[in-house]
Amino acid sequence: MVRIIRWVGEKSGKKWIYPVEEDIYTHEKTKKVVSKKAKVVGFTKVNIPSPLHPIIPYNVLILEDVHGHKMPKKVMKDYAMGDTYEDAISDKENAFAIVKLKYDYEEAVDEALELIGGITITPNQKILIKPNLSVPGNAYLGTCTNDKTLDALLIYLLKQGAKPANITIAEQSFFLPFEKAIAKTGILEVVKKHKVKLVNIADTKFEEKKEREFTFKISKIAQDHDIVINVPVIKTDMILGMDGAFENLTRFLHKESYEQLAKDPLKAVMALAILPKLLPPFITLGDASIGMQGNGPAQHGEPGFFNMIFAARNPVVHDRVASEVLCLSKLPYAELAGKVGVGEFELDNIEVLGNELEAVRRDILKPTGSRLFKKS
Amino acid sequence: MYVKGVGMTKYGILREATPLLAYQASLQALKDADMTMSDIDAIVCSSIEWFFSDERQRHFSSVLSSVFNTKVPIIRTPTACSSGGAAFWTAEQMGFDNVLVVGSDKLMACKTERLTEEFMMAAESKYEQNEGLNFPAQNALVAQEYMQKYPQTNMDHLAMIAHKNHQNAKVNPHARFFGKEVTLETIKSSPVVASPLRLFDCSISADGAAACVLTKDKTDIKVAASDLCSDFMGTFERTDNTSWDATTTIAKNVYAKAGITAKDVDIAELHDAFTIVELIAYEDLGFAKPGQAYKLIEDGYFTRDGKLPVNLSGGLKAKGHPVAATGLGQIYELVQQLRNQAGDRQANNPKIGLAQNIGGAGANISGTILKKVST
Repeated sequence: MVRIIRWVGEKSGKKWIYPVEEDIYTHEKTKKVVSKKAKVVGFTKVNIPSPLHPIIPYNVLILEDVHGHKMPKKVMKDYAMGDTYEDAISDKENAFAIVKLKYDYEEAVDEALELIGGITITPNQKILIKPNLSVPGNAYLGTCTNDKTLDALLIYLLKQGAKPANITIAEQSFFLPFEKAIAKTGILEVVKKHKVKLVNIADTKFEEKKEREFTFKISKIAQDHDIVINVPVIKTDMILGMDGAFENLTRFLHKESYEQLAKDPLKAVMALAILPKLLPPFITLGDASIGMQGNGPAQHGEPGFFNMIFAARNPVVHDRVASEVLCLSKLPYAELAGKVGVGEFELDNIEVLGNELEAVRRDILKPTGSRLFKKS
Repeated sequence: MYVKGVGMTKYGILREATPLLAYQASLQALKDADMTMSDIDAIVCSSIEWFFSDERQRHFSSVLSSVFNTKVPIIRTPTACSSGGAAFWTAEQMGFDNVLVVGSDKLMACKTERLTEEFMMAAESKYEQNEGLNFPAQNALVAQEYMQKYPQTNMDHLAMIAHKNHQNAKVNPHARFFGKEVTLETIKSSPVVASPLRLFDCSISADGAAACVLTKDKTDIKVAASDLCSDFMGTFERTDNTSWDATTTIAKNVYAKAGITAKDVDIAELHDAFTIVELIAYEDLGFAKPGQAYKLIEDGYFTRDGKLPVNLSGGLKAKGHPVAATGLGQIYELVQQLRNQAGDRQANNPKIGLAQNIGGAGANISGTILKKVST
């Protein structure tokens, strides 16, 4: 479902591709016009690579909607003039949506979730959102889930009929007091705006669960909700390869369990792989708007302005394709999770929606470690 | 105002640093004007300030203060590829008696891929850069749209524009393609970079600098008019790309201000970043009717011996495109031509010259009319 968006000044007749809420000519509210249908009115096959677009040839289409609004779109597939441009939708477990973020988080999140079939909500259902707010930092640092992404997700959920009182955002930090960890993330403003609950997972009830050779103390909060949405920020990780859907689940664990795992990276990989089995089914909304590259996930990484939103119904599918998009190495925990039946790991068996994988691949800075860490 | 002196470096792969290229061009311009830096009241400079090169140098205006050893006001005009033209226009608005205008850029010290990306940064970030719409691709889509609307025009006409400019560059010692024969066959068989545009439909990047001295004192070259217009960043935001509003507005304004019509222009230096851009400029500047430029191309109207020689310097296509110096390089060429000092590429005693300099894909355009006058 491609989205061609314009903000229109109805009296002035001016149009903007940028999200301006007030018309600078009339000082009246602009109207957002969104089209989901488009035709191909121009195309070029590009044969020169650039760091952002290393794979050639690729095509750039000019898509036009019924209003005459146009937008360029990069694709690998060939199209002809006049073709209708349509994206497939799939609610299957092996579906993965990639949406390129323009300036409108609300539309990007809505589109990503729509591509994987949407979230059906009945009014009394309890919804849990699990972002990554474990390290203090403005979203621009790429350390935590973008507050704009969370805001857009809440707007989506409320539009689908969710009640604010039934929505909980839950997170904890293993390194800092919760209030300190979330202070700069913008979450408090989002919570206040939508009148939803914010919970420190550390304050929730935990239960012991066994899976294979592991015994975990895990919060019951996920079990107590009807719909769980995992919203990790996509970051490089010097140990795991990438922080995505799986890593974000670790903060459902009790601190004791987490520290046990942290002692042994090899065990941690296995534990991470089976962690989703201890939780109810959940959707992952991958926040790759501002992620992290280089020596993440802590303060040594640097922001990666990926400008993408991912969505998947399965965490293996999510992390597998997300790591491919960012040209990171295969993730051992995800591969293992695939082997123990958590989800599909083979790329060939994953349906990528919204944008072709080859059209969005980008070679970000890898986590390589640095001798400077010791001194800094 | 009047142009008192001009100077430029050769365009090519140069070893000197950006500010020193600016120094060379400025020194030439001052000598040509029979002036020294002490006579200059203000400086308008243009440079992209490429971040990828070994210079890693921002704040070009202050660098020039050091290089020129002066404390006069210095301001930089960053409007991408039209920075030089914008600098010239700005200098005219400032009200100083004597202004040095200098553009300098050094961009060849990197891989083509990186350069493609750096150029692409002058395209809209989320809608164009993220979708791979680099400048060849943008202009390829413009060419496609134009040829759909005017099917009499085809790629052969664009090749003829490229060939004409290469013929001119061949005899311009400042040009990157100086002394090099590029045949029509070479142009037509060059690889497609963004369909339908081929490699030889694209301008050639270069390092280089150009400068001129503007003065209120009467000289032999009068700035009859200069103007600057803007349009939306994204070509996709516009309803029609077969004509660029900023150029048509520029044409209307500069002709009115200079008291001339398109028919009075003897020579023109146009912003041929891509061959299609030169073709569209023929029409937007009133040299040809919409959709009819192809006929004049076939008739050799814009060649060195034609009725209206265009890009006698070789243009961006073959002289080279040192980005922020380009607009001032155009001024240099017009002045040489109007003074009948252009050597082997000299037009037949021109009196009025026009320069058009574009930033982005038609997003920021400057226009200048220079007139030869008696002193």
